[in-house]
Amino acid sequence: MKIYTGSGDRGKTSLFSGERVSKSDLRVEAYGDVDELNSVLGGLVASLPPEELKLTEEIQRIQSDLFRVGAWLAVTPGSSVASDLEEISEKHSKLLEAAIDRMDKGLSNLKDFLLPGGHISAAWAHVARAVCRRAERHVVRLSATSAKDSESEQLRAVVVYLNRLSDYLFVLARHCNRIHNISDRVWEK
Amino acid sequence: MKLSKTVTPDANSYATELLDRCWLTEITFEIRLKRPPSFTFEPGQRIRFQHHSIERDYSVITTPDDTTLALCIYHVEEGPFSPILAAAAIGTSFTFTGPHGYFTYRPSERSAVFVATGTGIAPFLSIGRSGVTGFTLLHGVKTSSDLYYQPFFRSCAAVYVPCLSERRTETPPTDGFHGRVTRYLEEQFPPGIYDFYLSGQQEMIRDVTLLVDEKFPGSLVYTESFY
Ligand SMILES: Cc1cc2nc3c(=O)[nH]c(=O)nc-3n(C[C@H](O)[C@H](O)[C@H](O)COP(=O)(O)OP(=O)(O)OC[C@H]3O[C@@H](n4cnc5c(N)ncnc54)[C@H](O)[C@@H]3O)c2cc1C
Repeated sequence: MKIYTGSGDRGKTSLFSGERVSKSDLRVEAYGDVDELNSVLGGLVASLPPEELKLTEEIQRIQSDLFRVGAWLAVTPGSSVASDLEEISEKHSKLLEAAIDRMDKGLSNLKDFLLPGGHISAAWAHVARAVCRRAERHVVRLSATSAKDSESEQLRAVVVYLNRLSDYLFVLARHCNRIHNISDRVWEK
Repeated sequence: MKLSKTVTPDANSYATELLDRCWLTEITFEIRLKRPPSFTFEPGQRIRFQHHSIERDYSVITTPDDTTLALCIYHVEEGPFSPILAAAAIGTSFTFTGPHGYFTYRPSERSAVFVATGTGIAPFLSIGRSGVTGFTLLHGVKTSSDLYYQPFFRSCAAVYVPCLSERRTETPPTDGFHGRVTRYLEEQFPPGIYDFYLSGQQEMIRDVTLLVDEKFPGSLVYTESFY
């Protein structure tokens, strides 16, 4: 199957629920960020050593969840397509919280700002965190424009998920440095 | 946004067996497969054959109530997989995953316009056979011999327009159109807001989508791209 379709050449794209919208539409911005985040996570996974199998699987599960998030952002509320999609729920955020707690146990208390970087995997995790925050900001803007309660609720769940994910990515960055015996660099004012 | 391959919830894998094959034209055939008892799908969805390292998708043309699964297939002579389906002995085993895709009929207050090229007609067969009526169907084919399901669609479509792209001496069906589906939409189809369902060739999908932006703004566009 050809990769290029050409139907977006004039600045419009199709939502998953069938509407043709401008590529500058907030919804498109939001799922574009989620797509970018997913790709950065791909870079992060590629930078992990092969023995980090569990961590790799955990991040790949998050990548799958991000496809679901992207799908939610690409449908208009109340459309029949929406009812085909698996909801992003508290369950997804709880899994992130459990992972944060697990990794945090091995980390020292943090009193200062950190310079993003260290091991290449930690650097990827910081990039992912920043993209995740941008995605979250776009979803917040989107939910502010959403008229329907049902949609606001789902977008709220997405915001919670993305918020938790950026926390996860911050802790993950520190975890990646720790497993590679690299100290986090503190910002010196 | 294209998600069809990526967000389908984990599809199961099934073993099946070739029961029957019948040729509709020299290059298009139907096959009937054993339906695994636990396999369910919605009209418009597809299955994905897994054959060694090859994966190929086919829309199911039967309904969820049928006891067998049928597919309508174009024989790409130089292709790696369709010739296998064209030649496999009855009783050959295959493996597939599914159901895949979201190209299902979604009732709305707008009129549905189904547009297919060639075997892109396949998902509309399952949808029509499942009881959906009253739609407009444009079927783009080369010659009228490719209109294999004409009698069925005449019985359930409100408007059925075969669009024949190859100019020949043959007389077109009385309500047929000589030209591509895009030209029919451009020149003959009344402006309005519709739900478009586009299935088959990617170029047709692109051209119709761009036309929707120009001539039918506000319409929805659902797509199933075959190649
Ligand atoms: C979502 C989806 C649904 C599909 N449903 C069907 C279906 O119901 N029936 C069907 O026949 N095919 C369908 N296809 C195409 C099918 O998966 C195979 O690509 C096709 O059978 C050819 O397989 P192949 O391995 O022989 O050649 P491939 O390597 O897959 O294709 C070689 C070339 O053949 C041409 N081609 C492929 N499919 C077709 C076709 N259907 N008509 C005309 N030219 C074609 C294209 O130019 C393609 O580049 C579908 C594809 C997708 C992605």
